[in-house]
Amino acid sequence: MMPPAEVVHWMFGTGFLFLGLCLLAEAIVGREVWRARAWRAYLWPSVAFLMGLLMWPVMVFFTSSAVHMLAHGAWAQVMMLAGATQLALVRGKLRNELWNLAVPAALLVSGAAFLIHEQNPWLFSRSAFLHHALGWTAIVGAMFPLASTFRPRSPVLRGGFAFVLVAVAVLLFCDRNVAPIFGHLSPLAGSGPGS
Amino acid sequence: MRALAAATLAALALPAAAFAHANLVKREPSFGQRVETAPRQIVLHFDQGVIVVPQSVQVKTQRGVPMTAGPTRTAKNGKLVSVPVRRLPTGAYTVRWQVTSLEGHVLSGVYTFGVRRNPPPPTEAFGASGPTGTEDVVRWGLFLALALLVGGLGFRLIVVGDRATPQLDRRFYLVAAAGVIGALELGIAGFILRASDALQLPFGRLLYGDLSPLAQGTRFGLAFIVMTLGFGLVAALVFLSWLTERAALLWPAFALSLGLCSGLSLSGHSAVDTGASWRSELADWVHLSAACLWIGGLVQLGLVVWPLAPELRREAFLRFSRLAAVLVALLVGAGAYLAYLRLPEASDLWEEPYGRVLAIKLVLAALALGWGGLHRLVVRPMLERGEPPAGLSRSLLGEGAVGMAVLLVAAVLVNANPPRRPAPGGSATVGAAR
Repeated sequence: MMPPAEVVHWMFGTGFLFLGLCLLAEAIVGREVWRARAWRAYLWPSVAFLMGLLMWPVMVFFTSSAVHMLAHGAWAQVMMLAGATQLALVRGKLRNELWNLAVPAALLVSGAAFLIHEQNPWLFSRSAFLHHALGWTAIVGAMFPLASTFRPRSPVLRGGFAFVLVAVAVLLFCDRNVAPIFGHLSPLAGSGPGS
Repeated sequence: MRALAAATLAALALPAAAFAHANLVKREPSFGQRVETAPRQIVLHFDQGVIVVPQSVQVKTQRGVPMTAGPTRTAKNGKLVSVPVRRLPTGAYTVRWQVTSLEGHVLSGVYTFGVRRNPPPPTEAFGASGPTGTEDVVRWGLFLALALLVGGLGFRLIVVGDRATPQLDRRFYLVAAAGVIGALELGIAGFILRASDALQLPFGRLLYGDLSPLAQGTRFGLAFIVMTLGFGLVAALVFLSWLTERAALLWPAFALSLGLCSGLSLSGHSAVDTGASWRSELADWVHLSAACLWIGGLVQLGLVVWPLAPELRREAFLRFSRLAAVLVALLVGAGAYLAYLRLPEASDLWEEPYGRVLAIKLVLAALALGWGGLHRLVVRPMLERGEPPAGLSRSLLGEGAVGMAVLLVAAVLVNANPPRRPAPGGSATVGAAR
């Protein structure tokens, strides 16, 4: 009944790609132009919030190990938090710009969760490589929204954040169960549910 | 960007080698399965190769008698693990397995199956321990979180209605947010602790424990799934209500939260003990929901309305007083019915451990009800005459604190087993399958 883990990763990859492209468009055309239509200001925070909400089913249905369950729970919470604080800032319910720090905090927690729940070294497997790459991308990428909190008009920082999300999406799309893309199938390659 | 592109290309170019660590994808017999023909071996299928030692898979009866008939072996590059078993007579069996993933991490799990009879849930596998004091505290925290959430939402919608001020709403949402976050986090903690009881592993190894038989094969796991998903949705509704300033969104959040209180009933005594029926489950839900509404309402009255909305004090107190009368009637009625079901003899109250805990709960509940009665009989007429007594806020919070103490004893009670009662067939039965 449950979709394979890789399909779930691709679905979230699509979400991150959408987020990244929205932010990239905003960085290119400028915030004023992007927000000429009021709904666009709510777009990426709403998607982030929704993705957090949709992560809860992933958490409770993929319980092959406690560490995966906890990692998915952490991602659900930080995505909801990041989306919620951005929505509240856009709406004017929160006024202190320091609430923007919720986004880098979410990336840091997400990256840490990736690295903690991956027990293998970088080159052990495709999945291990992806988890390490995703973890470090999120942690290093958190510097963009962190700096952007204090220099909110910098297009470089906003563009950098957008590219981080696109990179996360690409890495999530790279996750696949049986994937003879450029290489061959390892004898260890499996077909069951995973992280 | 070059580094990013290089990393991405490298990820694509690497041989596809499955996932983070080995996962158990199939068991023969499966968890919770009742088989009519005794299996000759236990087979575990992993999605990656694993390393085993001769005792990696152990099969025991519910009394702990080992039933393995040889060492654990692997096949198919370590992806298939099997152990031969002796002739298994009719009964329930516990399988505990422990293998080493190729990267060196120890993976563990436990499940049960039955030969010509239904097996118990993994929480009652051989070697599993009962709820601990930590679990009592976590369940108490969960009850408190439910009280803050359900009681807060009920108070805001039924008692305050459209008279809320922005200041009052701000604190109300903070309390409700604390409630829903607490319900989510403590629900997860409770599930992990219950898994720890079943798996009997230190925390470091519990992280790599297979929780799927517990999540999918027990009432407790089902309640965990439903409540986690439900409270995630409630969190979203409460947030959207705050964001858009639309109190109407709180109604579905309130209805959903009330419904989710039944998760605790469906995974507790009322679902499995002798005499359990839909009536006992309904009574348990009514009992818990009424308690949450009452205690959470007191917190809102003492912590939100009293300090922040003096103009609403009188009206809110009088309205809540009317609501509390109904809640107390429901609470006492449902509680008396449940006590009758679980302790049919009055002497059970002092002779049985469960009864003694219930007696403490009754004393505390009587104290809280007496305190509430004092508010209704003495304070309410004073407020109606426009003479509010001093220190009423502290008194309300005091009543709420006693209510919270009642919830603590209730948490201990939920995790305890009622005394055995003779079943119609003559054998004694006791709460199980949680």
